[in-house]
Amino acid sequence: MNASRDRAARQGAQFHSDDPRRTPTGGPGSTPARVVRFGWSLALWLCLFAFGASAEQAAAAITEPVGDAVDRQLADAAADRHTCLRCHAMPTLAYRNPENGDIVDLSIDREGLAHSVHGELACIDCHRRSYRRYPHPDRPAPGDLDCIGCHEDEDNNLSRGWVDIDAEFKRSVHAISDSQEAADFSCHSCHDPHRFRPAAVGEPLVQIVRNHNAVCVSCHEELVAPFSTSHDWLPNRDAHWGSVRCVDCHTPVALFANHEILPAEESEKNCVSCHSADAQLLARLYQFRSEEDIARSGLLAKAIFNEAYVVGMSKSPALDRLSLIIMGLMVLLLAAHGVGRYLARRANRRA
Amino acid sequence: MTSLYLYPVWLRLWHWINALLFLTLIASGVSMHYAGADWLMPFATARVVHNTAGILLTIAWIGFVVVNAKSANARHYRIRFRTLIGDLTAQTRYYMVGIFRLEPHPFHVTEAMKFNTLQQLSYLGVMYGLMPILILSGWAFLYSVYLPETLFGLGSVWVVAMTHVVVSYLLALFLLVHMYIITTGDTVFSNLRAMITGWHRESDPPRTETSTPAPAPRETP
Repeated sequence: MNASRDRAARQGAQFHSDDPRRTPTGGPGSTPARVVRFGWSLALWLCLFAFGASAEQAAAAITEPVGDAVDRQLADAAADRHTCLRCHAMPTLAYRNPENGDIVDLSIDREGLAHSVHGELACIDCHRRSYRRYPHPDRPAPGDLDCIGCHEDEDNNLSRGWVDIDAEFKRSVHAISDSQEAADFSCHSCHDPHRFRPAAVGEPLVQIVRNHNAVCVSCHEELVAPFSTSHDWLPNRDAHWGSVRCVDCHTPVALFANHEILPAEESEKNCVSCHSADAQLLARLYQFRSEEDIARSGLLAKAIFNEAYVVGMSKSPALDRLSLIIMGLMVLLLAAHGVGRYLARRANRRA
Repeated sequence: MTSLYLYPVWLRLWHWINALLFLTLIASGVSMHYAGADWLMPFATARVVHNTAGILLTIAWIGFVVVNAKSANARHYRIRFRTLIGDLTAQTRYYMVGIFRLEPHPFHVTEAMKFNTLQQLSYLGVMYGLMPILILSGWAFLYSVYLPETLFGLGSVWVVAMTHVVVSYLLALFLLVHMYIITTGDTVFSNLRAMITGWHRESDPPRTETSTPAPAPRETP
């Protein structure tokens, strides 16, 4: 668990989510109690129907850890997950919110959860007291679904601790906005805990960027709507969106603080922040790629091809130095030639 | 004193437009290449200026190629292979030795041939060698999304970028030498004046008359 948590920490906010539009199950939403009760009763009926058919499949799908006492905990967790997933693995587990007509999805993708960074946890590790019994209560008890509550330990592999992330988040526009849409914003609003997993070295960068940005766009969908004029000032807007993470520009450039999401007017608009030799943003974006480069092609190739990704980054310090030296020598040569001519003419005049 | 009208208006106009575009491209190119320094153009400005000047340079270059193919101007670029080695040696020797001994210039400008062999080779190399590469790599930058992922096994954008940078350094070097060499005419400014007025002036009359007789010398305006 620690290893996977470390990985998650190192990768910051890189995670996978095939469909980030899903409402995280049991998230601290503000669904009215009546709706929740209706939903749970519906869910119960669905569970009863589905139980007979799905129990066997569910049991087969979960690999029971065997052997060591060390694995005992994992076995318990798996058993716990098994119990919960009997209902929540059903893709159809959902209800319609009678208030606004939205489908509230209560299903969990079994595969996604298994591959997620939380895949080895028992459900009740996060959904603590309130979800031990059934029917579930209307809303989570205090202390439930508390990321920092688990992730409060200092992580040596992390340049900043979870507490810092919490502080960053509290400064972010998501936390300080008065907008109704930003009410009850929490970690889960972006990071679906049932799917979160760090990007692995070797994954295509484009895929990572797409997964990242899909999270932002799942709420800010108006940005990518056809004929959207958002980000019109940005040259090659769609190319940028395809290769740059939203957070690369919408967080403070100088700090590695990608949970402090900035409001639009404070976000980065300076091309040079990326398109120059000293490009902190680009370095941040391609940090992962660099790792992959070195792993694949070795340090030498990395040294040669470094800084060569983007227009304006096409600098090779060695080439620049060589060219400037040649030009400098040429200027000296021409100057010497000129002086020689001048002296020759002067000598001729005197003669 | 011989005066030859060697540079018609279109050619002088083209030349000075090229010169202006070259300087603009160098200034904006350096501003992008070394972006961030205070004394440079802001990146966003430099980008627009560079692209615009690059497009204009492309048009100017195409114009040059078309006019050269259609008009008699092309004859100045035809290399005289039979005497190439001798001419080259004489010209190089003149710049390295003869010029300091105040020897007469080994090449005499006529209406039929206004470039010496060294000039011919360098102009041919620049206009039909470096310029097309510079222009193509510049456009490849603009439309890099349509390039394959790799060229010759290397990242496309990197290949394009390095080509563009190397060729631009070579052309800047050409510009340096070009600006110096024009001072080696009859007087320091006589070649520069020729490119402004169109009239080439030479104090020593050609020793051997060429097959095309020079028109009656006229007074320089």
